[in-house]
Amino acid sequence: MINQQTPLLSTEKLTKTFGQNIILNQIDAQIYQGQVICLIGPSGAGKSTFLRCLNLLDKPTSGSVFFKEQDLTTLSDKQLDDLRQKMGMVFQQFNLFPNMTVLDNLTLAPLKVKQLSEPQMIAKAQSLLHQVGLSAKKEAFPANLSGGQQQRVAIARALMMDPQVLLFDEPTSALDPEMVGEVLKVMQDLAQKGMTMIVVTHEMGFARNVADQIWFMAKGKIQEMTPPEQFFQQPQTVRAQEFLTKILAS
Amino acid sequence: MNKQKYWLPVLGIFVALIGCITINTPIKAADTIHENYVQKIKAKKELVMGTSPDFPPYEFVKNIHGKSTVVGLDVEVGQEIASDLGVKLVVERMDFDSLLVALETGKVDMVISGMNNTPQRAKSVSFSKNYYQSGQDLLIRQADIHRYHNYRSLSNRTIGAQTGSIQYSLVKQQAKKAKLKGMDKDNDLILALQTHKIDALAVDTATAKAFIQNTNGLIRIPSGFKTSSAGSAVAFPKGANSLVQVANQSITKIRKNDLINKVYLPKVSKYMTNHKSKKDRQKANSMWAYKDFFLAGIGYTLMISALSVCLGLLLGIFLSLMRLSKNSWAKKIAGAYIEFVRGTPLMVQLLFIYFGLGIVVNIPALLSGIIAVSLNSAAYVAEVIRSGINSINVGQKEAARSLGMSRQLTMRYVIFPQAIQNIWPALGNEFISLIKESSIVSVIGVKDLIYQSRLVQADTYRGVMPLVITMILYFIITFSLSRSMKYFERKMGHSND
Repeated sequence: MINQQTPLLSTEKLTKTFGQNIILNQIDAQIYQGQVICLIGPSGAGKSTFLRCLNLLDKPTSGSVFFKEQDLTTLSDKQLDDLRQKMGMVFQQFNLFPNMTVLDNLTLAPLKVKQLSEPQMIAKAQSLLHQVGLSAKKEAFPANLSGGQQQRVAIARALMMDPQVLLFDEPTSALDPEMVGEVLKVMQDLAQKGMTMIVVTHEMGFARNVADQIWFMAKGKIQEMTPPEQFFQQPQTVRAQEFLTKILAS
Repeated sequence: MNKQKYWLPVLGIFVALIGCITINTPIKAADTIHENYVQKIKAKKELVMGTSPDFPPYEFVKNIHGKSTVVGLDVEVGQEIASDLGVKLVVERMDFDSLLVALETGKVDMVISGMNNTPQRAKSVSFSKNYYQSGQDLLIRQADIHRYHNYRSLSNRTIGAQTGSIQYSLVKQQAKKAKLKGMDKDNDLILALQTHKIDALAVDTATAKAFIQNTNGLIRIPSGFKTSSAGSAVAFPKGANSLVQVANQSITKIRKNDLINKVYLPKVSKYMTNHKSKKDRQKANSMWAYKDFFLAGIGYTLMISALSVCLGLLLGIFLSLMRLSKNSWAKKIAGAYIEFVRGTPLMVQLLFIYFGLGIVVNIPALLSGIIAVSLNSAAYVAEVIRSGINSINVGQKEAARSLGMSRQLTMRYVIFPQAIQNIWPALGNEFISLIKESSIVSVIGVKDLIYQSRLVQADTYRGVMPLVITMILYFIITFSLSRSMKYFERKMGHSND
């Protein structure tokens, strides 16, 4: 296990409430460079909210989120925009820009935010599309792609900004079953290349094979942080045991 | 999104407006104490006369060498006063109802428009003595010659009169058994009479004579109204006594020499009766002869519409961004503006900008029109754009922000292009209604299509044909716009098939 002094990403007493509902309850967590974390748990446990608090798409009610040594909750809008470039995100609903071609989806942010040269970015986009197996689709519009293809484009789009960590929010939940595999394959390749990843998922096979750690979340808390073998064979908490029983029964 | 409380900023606008007006009143009052109207006019070397040129033989528009010119005995009277002052006469055309407001707000120096000196009017303006005294008549259809003899035989019938005219109050006060129908233009009233919308038309004798000379199938009967001293007088700003004095001298001269009957009327009636045979008249009145009027009207209408669409769109985008912004003050101000503008009639906004703001800064009619239509359109455009922006899935924003794009970049490159695509049809509707609603500017005398059609009506004594042509011209303009909007919609749509 890679273990450095400072985590790449960490939270301290991270809390998020909506009105009376406590979604995240004082979470402390650390993610180190090169780790793949799979975040699993029953729906309503706060997994997506936790992920969205990491890049401040959702503002924490209290507590801190650190990227290396920087506390994100204290940053200005401008600093936050800069920092988000280092944290890619992939959404359940893909969220490709429907009015742009695949190539434009990939090059928009680097061209407008980093103001890099266009030929260079097009070359980079083509190589990333090749990596996710979609070289032929660069001039297509999102509406003409299958769900699996759209999600692979979305991953390539996130990679365009050279992020140091990728956040996946149920990346395969909106896909037809036959398309899940192609997306998971791309993610597994990324993991093997050493990308730091936090994945909210219900794909237990992926979690077992790819994750360095399973974080089991329930009731606004991370109940367990254990390696996958241990989690799937000997879950420590009663909640995790119940959850696994349900999952495996279905 | 939370519901905003708009009443507070709206109230603020009201208070500001009222403050604006009350603050300015004392300045005006101070002006009247040290009255120097004559010196002012001599200094600027021109005397501006306001008139509503749809009232032959007093004032009407004539196509002289292809230029629409106001002629009539009132213009002759105005000319006489101007010559006596040694300055140039400038004639400003506007609706009869707007004349006194224009006088009060300094848009014109005097009003000569067949206007009678009534006690109500005398409260807000100073009148000269009467320059002309005319009886009151009724115009009826020739077929009714044995049915109606004066207003008393018109019980339960409809009598028409120009809104705001002395005839209007005469009918209202004395012909209580008759129904009263008010319209802005004598030409519309003549048309109403011909098409049986009304049964009689109350006008003064000189006007009645002018109309029967030029319109078939109408005759003139005495009205039977009891009138006090209904004579036409020149109106000046309240307290402009030096000007009234000068005008009275000119009028004394006019009356002593009977210039109106001996010189002005013969001169003016030449404009009215120069088409001897019916055939000649039809030829001269063919709409083709007035193509320059319509072309000028199209020019103004297109210019006002195009500028207002652009300005309205820019301001509308700005307002919608203010309304969607994080800053609660920007939000409230934009919200209040939109509510206020959408909750008040465009006509009132136009009159406010032209006359109301006229107290502070004198904005010319055309510019006032463009400003009013733009400001009005902006409020509607802002709402359309806001709805378009809100219609974009929040995931689009999150995707852009997660890539490190700022709020501004996200709005500009991701949200806005998609929003425009969604609201394009609604925006097209807004632009089309703007073109149509721009016709309101004719009220303050902007020479747009409607205004020109009025002039042609007044000049040809034909009611329907100019309207038909105007309608067709408007349709051509709006139809081409909606077609080109559709074309661009299809072009944008390709990406989303």
